[in-house]
Amino acid sequence: MDSLPDRFDPWPPGVQPVVPTPGYPGTFTHSPAEAPIRRPAGRGQFTGPLDLDRKLPCDEMNLATPNPGRPAIGQLIHIAGRILDEDGRPVRGAVVELWQANAAGRYFHPNDTTRDAPLDPNFIGNGRVRTDAEGGFGFFTVKPGAYPVPTKEVWWRPPHVHFSVIGPASLSRLVTQMFFPGEPLNPFDHIFMAVPEAAARQRLLATALPPAEVGAGWLGFRHDIVLRGRAATPPC
Amino acid sequence: MLKPNAPLLPTPSQTIGPFFPQTFFQAGDNDLTRVSAAAAPSTRGERILLRGVVRREGGIPCVNAILEAWQADAAGRFRHPKDPECALADPDFLGWGRAWTDAAGGYEFHTLLPGGFTDAAGPRAPHIELAVMASGLMRTLFTTVFFPDFPGPNEADPVLAAVPAARRPLLLAQPDGEAAGCRAFRFDLQLRGGAETPFFVE
Ligand SMILES: [Fe+3]
Repeated sequence: MDSLPDRFDPWPPGVQPVVPTPGYPGTFTHSPAEAPIRRPAGRGQFTGPLDLDRKLPCDEMNLATPNPGRPAIGQLIHIAGRILDEDGRPVRGAVVELWQANAAGRYFHPNDTTRDAPLDPNFIGNGRVRTDAEGGFGFFTVKPGAYPVPTKEVWWRPPHVHFSVIGPASLSRLVTQMFFPGEPLNPFDHIFMAVPEAAARQRLLATALPPAEVGAGWLGFRHDIVLRGRAATPPC
Repeated sequence: MLKPNAPLLPTPSQTIGPFFPQTFFQAGDNDLTRVSAAAAPSTRGERILLRGVVRREGGIPCVNAILEAWQADAAGRFRHPKDPECALADPDFLGWGRAWTDAAGGYEFHTLLPGGFTDAAGPRAPHIELAVMASGLMRTLFTTVFFPDFPGPNEADPVLAAVPAARRPLLLAQPDGEAAGCRAFRFDLQLRGGAETPFFVE
């Protein structure tokens, strides 16, 4: 298992979102005011749960065409990608959780009560899988709709998909969001724009695949996610 | 055999938001003593309950926050190849759990009192690592819970030593009576302001 990372460099500048985040009021009441305390990464950071699929069922990858049930309303899409570490090595066995709004921009969640956008009885919008030997994962879903955030200033979230990834080390833990290329709302989104470097924001954007590669049933998107961590010994 | 690619930059963090699916939670996710929902709990150690409240600025309870715990077993071993004594680790102890806060900001974990160990940084006092995710948090927060049972090891712990002395007590869980026949400990988290919980970065 020498493929497990045991080196965690500091986050490169411009990658982590600015906190508190301009335009996002909740970050001004939740983000710590004190600077985080630097500590040596130790065994508790290099390790993490490797067989979580026994605890968390990892078998929901089709969110769009439940069986039994009718297909969800919206543009059917397939999201495929790989979970990699900073050395570009595939992270196998990572737990990947995805959740998103339906095509009308409404979450199947009791707290999404800010407006009466319709729920789709055939779309819950949550899935969980485990990456394969190549670090690969995939979900069949629908393209989520945009939705407004209940703040004083008008703010609409662009279509986005939430990802939670539990990797091989507790420092690999990542919560992130995937955005769609070319969406006019992207440059107005306080959460997307909180990432300072344009190149880092680019890594939050999915890549649209040529339709001929995917077929007539779905639109295809590719999205790789890079977790923190690398091997102490550089790979050769 | 897959060849490693060029070095890559990590994907930025984003907030978990207010809509992390409730259907992802199952009873027992916050029980670190079981490797699966159906498995019997490990009994190799003292069973404890860790509970507390997560608050934001102004002491207002934080609802819908997600906490994930990770810790060594009662003998101080992780069931992970990066632990030199991995093969001796308790096979029935998961060491990981996920809890979410209720309407009052409360959470709880069922676990075993962790053991200490020594790593490159020095002798580590028994502790539980916590990751905190919530709406309004754009970056996952990492903190560590220590126990009042171990004043000597706490004094020698290199991570606790990195915390300014005045803030160290904020990382100590407090005895909180008994619950279902085991000792309970309280660890409240203050995300911002007041007696703000110390958070770590590497
Ligand atoms: Fe969202």
